[in-house]
Amino acid sequence: MLCDVCKKNEATIHIKEVHNGKVVASNLCGECAREKEAKGEFGTLGFNLAEVLFNLGKLSASMGQADSQQEETRGEELPACPVCGWTVGKVRESGGRLGCPECYRTFEPMISEALGRFQRGTIHLGKRPKSAGQGCASTLRFELERRRRELEELIRREEYEEAAVCRDRINQLKKELEKCDHPAPPAAEPEKETGDGSAD
Amino acid sequence: MDPQIERLLGNPVSFLADSGPDEDIAISSRIRLARNLAGRPFPSAASDEALCEVCGLVSDAASASGALGCPECFAFEPETLTPLEREILFERRLASRDFLARNGGTRLLVSNDESCSIMINEEDQLRIQALRPGFQLEAVWEEIDKLDDELGSRLDYAFDERLGFLTSCPTNVGTGMRASVMLHLPGLVLSGRIGPTIQGVNKLNLAVRGIFGEGTDNRGNLFQVSNQSTLGESEMQILERLSNVIGQLIAYEKNAREQLIAQDQFSILDHVGRSYGLLRHAYKLSSEEALNSLSGVRIGVDLGMFNSIDIKKVNELFIAINPAHLQLSAGRELSAAERNVCRAALCREKLKQA
Ligand SMILES: [Zn+2]
Ligand SMILES: [Zn+2]
Repeated sequence: MLCDVCKKNEATIHIKEVHNGKVVASNLCGECAREKEAKGEFGTLGFNLAEVLFNLGKLSASMGQADSQQEETRGEELPACPVCGWTVGKVRESGGRLGCPECYRTFEPMISEALGRFQRGTIHLGKRPKSAGQGCASTLRFELERRRRELEELIRREEYEEAAVCRDRINQLKKELEKCDHPAPPAAEPEKETGDGSAD
Repeated sequence: MDPQIERLLGNPVSFLADSGPDEDIAISSRIRLARNLAGRPFPSAASDEALCEVCGLVSDAASASGALGCPECFAFEPETLTPLEREILFERRLASRDFLARNGGTRLLVSNDESCSIMINEEDQLRIQALRPGFQLEAVWEEIDKLDDELGSRLDYAFDERLGFLTSCPTNVGTGMRASVMLHLPGLVLSGRIGPTIQGVNKLNLAVRGIFGEGTDNRGNLFQVSNQSTLGESEMQILERLSNVIGQLIAYEKNAREQLIAQDQFSILDHVGRSYGLLRHAYKLSSEEALNSLSGVRIGVDLGMFNSIDIKKVNELFIAINPAHLQLSAGRELSAAERNVCRAALCREKLKQA
């Protein structure tokens, strides 16, 4: 299905709205949805960021039917967050807000799909908080990303010798990162850094 | 009047009153960081007690680290202010309307020169902001990075190795950073090139919006350009990408102005002259008229047409003509018609002194 707005891209965001008892469907591509969001048009159209972000259908209370049965939305089968009790319904009501840091794990499938549409990447390459210490994975990932860009640039400039050095470093970084993400089976030290100091 | 608000009103708005690089076209540069504390619910899911605790923890961290000059900084409890006083905080770009509308459990810390602030319990527990005049995202980044480190060494931020800083809405996750530059683009508007330019910028995953009014309304020809994506790039990469585009927009704007002058200089002169005449001699000015006329006078100042008008005076009027500022300086609530009269009087007065 093509996007209602540009009629070029594949529509990946489907929104259903109920207006005076009539269901109005909109189908948008990520780019057009983003543009509408930036212009604040979703507010006036009655869209809500949650529906756009997470591809959730919307059911108007005026229909007077039980929400849970009528809604055919993905994410519906996800359980409530064990820490804060937030549910998919709450995510929708609050305009796409989550309840607590743990919600990122609870609603992971829904969130990772949304991130792919709205963010330029799926891995954090920015700064780390002082309190988190110097985890190895993040530092390595950061350099890896930087080296990849550098490599592209070197190839564009046809500086092949430099590019070869850069590529070696990239391969080395990948190996080190592998070790970080999947620490070697328990051998000597039991308190090995896991590289996944998730906040909880 | 709240004594802190009174003190605030005596301040020159530093991001408008000081000089900055490229200030003829770029009015101000702003960065905000979204942060939350590990293991605590985000504000929309938090109980009153939980909100209160976070207010305490963040205020203590700010005082202990001396961030924002705390404890000798401004500390507002929005729910104790009148609606008009809250609106002042919004008009000075210190707080969002959503934040100010919340029912308790919030606190706003502001440095004495208003260049940095922390909204506690907005959409995220911390929204740290730094603001400077002109186009200087790098300097703003250095400032806010340091502020964030000072707070971060005393607070346990919610952080995930893969997703970065965890935020209430996934549109902010990762760096939690939104950087923006406010641009005055009358040349692109007058030459009819603003539409395609905005579309081009949107394609680069950056957002453009008018500062005043809603949606496509661009009163005062002021636009804010900001990053959309917060994940997958480092802060420096995001800032570099944004800065490149801002640099191009400034060049396009200069070019558009030169072309307008080359093609038909009397149209520009007329536009500037009428704008000045309106501000200098009108007895009733709507907000829209005032903003558009200020934009016109600003072009004149940039083109060197007025050697007696200080650009900072014009900049400050962009804030002073807003409804809450007018009403508080009048010392009472004003109807829309009364505001128009006060607004015109203020503009006549300020530009006379110039
Ligand atoms: Zn489209
Ligand atoms: Zn949760």
